Amino acid sequence: MRKAGKIAKKVLGGAVAAYAGLFVVFYFDLDGKLLFHVVEPFLKNHYDKMERKDPLSMPYDIIDGDYVK
Amino acid sequence: MKKPDLSKLKNLDYKKLARDFVYGKPAEERRLGDLYQDKTGLYKHREWRGIKDTMAYFNKIWLYNYGMMVADIMKYGGPIVFAKGVWRYRWLGQTYLPVMHWFDRGLEGTRGGVMLASAWHYRGMVNTTIKQFMTMLVADQNLGGDKKKHDHTVAHDETVWGGIFYPYRDHLDNVPLQMVPYFVTCHVNNHVVLNYIDAVQSIGLPGDPCPMCQAEAGLFVADDMPDYYKAVLTSNEACDGSVASSVIQDWMINKPLHAMPQPMQFDDPLVQKHCQKEIEEAWQFVEDQYGIKFNWDTLVKNLEEQNKLQEFEWEKWDVAANTNHYPINGVAQALYRIYQSQYGNSPIWHEVDGHVRKIMEKCVEQKIDTFPLTRHRVIAWSCAPLYYSNWCTWAYNCWGLNTVINMDSLMFDMTIRTDSYEHTLEDMSTYHEWAPMRRMAVGGMHHIFELWDYMEKFNCDMVMMYDQLACKGMQGVHGLFEDEFRARNIHAIWMPHALPDKRVVPRAEIRKIVNDYMFTVMQEEPIDPSLLEFDDSDSW
Amino acid sequence: MRDLKHLIYFEDLLQEANNELVRKAKDEGKKALGYTCYFMPEVLLDLPGAFSVRLRAPKCSSPDMATYYMSSRTCHYGRSLFERALEGGFNFLDAQLATETCTVTCRFQEHLQRMPGVINNATFKIDFIDVPFKKTENSIQHYEEQLQEHVLNFLNREFGIDTSDEAILKSIELHNEVCEIINEIGDYRKLDNPTITGYEFAVITLVSMVCPKHLIIDKLRETRDEMKTREPDAKKNYRVKVLLAGSENDDPEFTKLIESCGGLVVCDRYCYGAVEARQPIEIMEGESPLRAVARHYLETSQCTRFMEQKDMRARKQKIADLAKEYKADGIIVASNKFCEYWSYERVIDTVVLQRDFGYPVCSIEKEYINNASGQLRTRFQAFVESVELKKIQEGK
Repeated sequence: MRKAGKIAKKVLGGAVAAYAGLFVVFYFDLDGKLLFHVVEPFLKNHYDKMERKDPLSMPYDIIDGDYVK
Repeated sequence: MKKPDLSKLKNLDYKKLARDFVYGKPAEERRLGDLYQDKTGLYKHREWRGIKDTMAYFNKIWLYNYGMMVADIMKYGGPIVFAKGVWRYRWLGQTYLPVMHWFDRGLEGTRGGVMLASAWHYRGMVNTTIKQFMTMLVADQNLGGDKKKHDHTVAHDETVWGGIFYPYRDHLDNVPLQMVPYFVTCHVNNHVVLNYIDAVQSIGLPGDPCPMCQAEAGLFVADDMPDYYKAVLTSNEACDGSVASSVIQDWMINKPLHAMPQPMQFDDPLVQKHCQKEIEEAWQFVEDQYGIKFNWDTLVKNLEEQNKLQEFEWEKWDVAANTNHYPINGVAQALYRIYQSQYGNSPIWHEVDGHVRKIMEKCVEQKIDTFPLTRHRVIAWSCAPLYYSNWCTWAYNCWGLNTVINMDSLMFDMTIRTDSYEHTLEDMSTYHEWAPMRRMAVGGMHHIFELWDYMEKFNCDMVMMYDQLACKGMQGVHGLFEDEFRARNIHAIWMPHALPDKRVVPRAEIRKIVNDYMFTVMQEEPIDPSLLEFDDSDSW
Repeated sequence: MRDLKHLIYFEDLLQEANNELVRKAKDEGKKALGYTCYFMPEVLLDLPGAFSVRLRAPKCSSPDMATYYMSSRTCHYGRSLFERALEGGFNFLDAQLATETCTVTCRFQEHLQRMPGVINNATFKIDFIDVPFKKTENSIQHYEEQLQEHVLNFLNREFGIDTSDEAILKSIELHNEVCEIINEIGDYRKLDNPTITGYEFAVITLVSMVCPKHLIIDKLRETRDEMKTREPDAKKNYRVKVLLAGSENDDPEFTKLIESCGGLVVCDRYCYGAVEARQPIEIMEGESPLRAVARHYLETSQCTRFMEQKDMRARKQKIADLAKEYKADGIIVASNKFCEYWSYERVIDTVVLQRDFGYPVCSIEKEYINNASGQLRTRFQAFVESVELKKIQEGK
């Protein structure tokens, strides 16, 4: 019983700590700061380096019927 | 050791501090501009709105929506597909993550019902966005997606109303090509779209066509579109640019593409039959390409549900026009309405409307003055700057300019009869003719000058005249508007912008124009002077 | 080459919209009907008792008043027309038959509607038609209904014009004769050493659009006859032959500029060009004259408005076919600044005509009236040189 109480306390304590932690993240806009300064530059760098199809190489067939087959 | 100066602490008004902590600062003391970090638009800290509203924002908006964003991903395809999509598509990776900052920008300074009702509108848009891009990704052949899904998904230009596909909803997914990759990204993270504008100009397109169409074509040129569809339905809406950019899209897509153009002179009773036939031909195309049958019951069911959304929209307009209890701010009103009516019926809109109804009814019953800082009731006309759709939040906080309604909200202003095939088709064609950016823009100048009627209807005393620099239709009536504003003695602020491209007219420039008008013409002082000038040039 | 007898006369007629022949036709009691777009069939405006005038604003380099109304960020052509209207240059018009086919010309015409005093003519009238974006049966039917109501019924109601089938047939007859004459003259551009310049042909085509046909046809006939004996210069006076494609262009000086750089313009696939506008109208068996007109104007047009997939693609093939037919060595694609349609079309033409059809392409953006001719001259000279080099390399 005591053990269960201890676990419940720990879980509750953990939940309270997580909630408080999330509030700190929220209040100080830590999510925004992480995304702006770390995640977005990383992703941007990745997208800039990606190999992409040459758009001008797309075929442009004159078609017989109404639509491209 | 130097003794700390405690005199400041002694002089503090603790009673006021406690009151501010519990209830939040009064509007004129908020200094929201001081919360920004220079250039980035990030917050040193998010606003303290008093205990109740701060915790409501934290729990019901921030935590709830982050949670729902994860839940939606799980619901519509799972994290692996999502991760692959993030890694492949710039518009997705750079846009999905800063979503909560998009909420923040739109909801700055809001309190109580306005904060919650407006946030519900955002939630509706986020859910629909996730649903759309996950449908794309699941079927995306670039990512090795499900071929069967690919063969049961139709793509369409974002200006084709989603309701066209109601008869096939049981067997076919329809996902607009650009609604998420272009339209949503501009609002959430405007860094992204610049890549697409540059991409299309890199193959020789001049800089003067409408940047919306440029960006939409640029998505294909930059090879940043998922391959999730077997065929495409396009249209001539809303303008020459839309017609013209179809040429590039056709080239880059290289799949069966059917055009469903709508007449320009839509007041003419003679055009209606033609328009109805165009819709029927589009249906025939869908049936031929996908081997599915027209289902009248599905069409009726969706239209009737959509009619309920429209009826609630009218109730909202009524409250907005005739009371000061309307709990939705300018940006939430504009974006939700255009998104919902263009995308078509979806369960999330009904859920959102249910929540909003409760909030609105409470505001009306309790006679809550939802926008107490209002000095002017503003109607926003023409098409808005997508990179600064939240200007109206700023204008309200800084100057008390309350944007009650906007032109795009007033499109699609009708319900659709379902009592017979003929009536339904008749109404569907009219509905499509009244699409956003089109209802007022084509078919004769008298439509664009309906502004005066709506000003009266919504009890507005000021116009925010969007001046999209590359919109030939609006540029082509510039002088007549000037003349009419003068003749009618109406206060109108021209807001130049380039739709998605913030490089042409930066947000700071837009604020400066409004500030100048308010100081020099209106001879007014700002409510929150900290918002007059700040640098958010690098912000999302 | 020997000078064309009527060239100077034709050039004079192009100096203003209300030219000598327009005034003469007005004196005869005919109604002057303005239009701006191919989709307003001139043949229906040339019914007995009326005549068509395709509107131009020659020499309008600075449309200041129109810029107040339409801003500086719209097509120069639309603004120039409005400037000319504000100056009183279109006061002779009895009616404007308008189309909502491209935004800025539509706005110009809407200004005439909303500001009735602009055309200083108390009886001035205006009506709009809706023009479809496809060439399907549904579109032809729709277009025919629009022409019936907003052109024929309008003309009959407002001016008592005879719009019977017989009257339309008569008008088609005159139209077809003009087309045949122009085509016959234009065919001399297909010769290995053409006996007519692009500039001369542009002038001749234009006068046939801006003058009452019954008053200009004699001079056109004479010119056709004169062409039969016209000899080319002993020494070729051009370096390469080019096809000029693109958006609105009613400025023969632009063609002259290209030709002064050594590029003989042998084919004109642009708005106000002859490739489409001067196709004779054929009446199929069982067709009413109006139906034939509606079908003809949709089927012959290569306008970039058309949105059907096959039509979008066929446009490129058409340019390549014309280039072959007229023995062009290269293609110039020119779009007016702020023209949304041609901004995009030009991009794809530039790539596809070169890549898939093997034609060198010069892609340029121009103003309605080209004051920046120095820059354009440099572009054209470079293009002509590159085409010439290509020909040498290919041993032609």
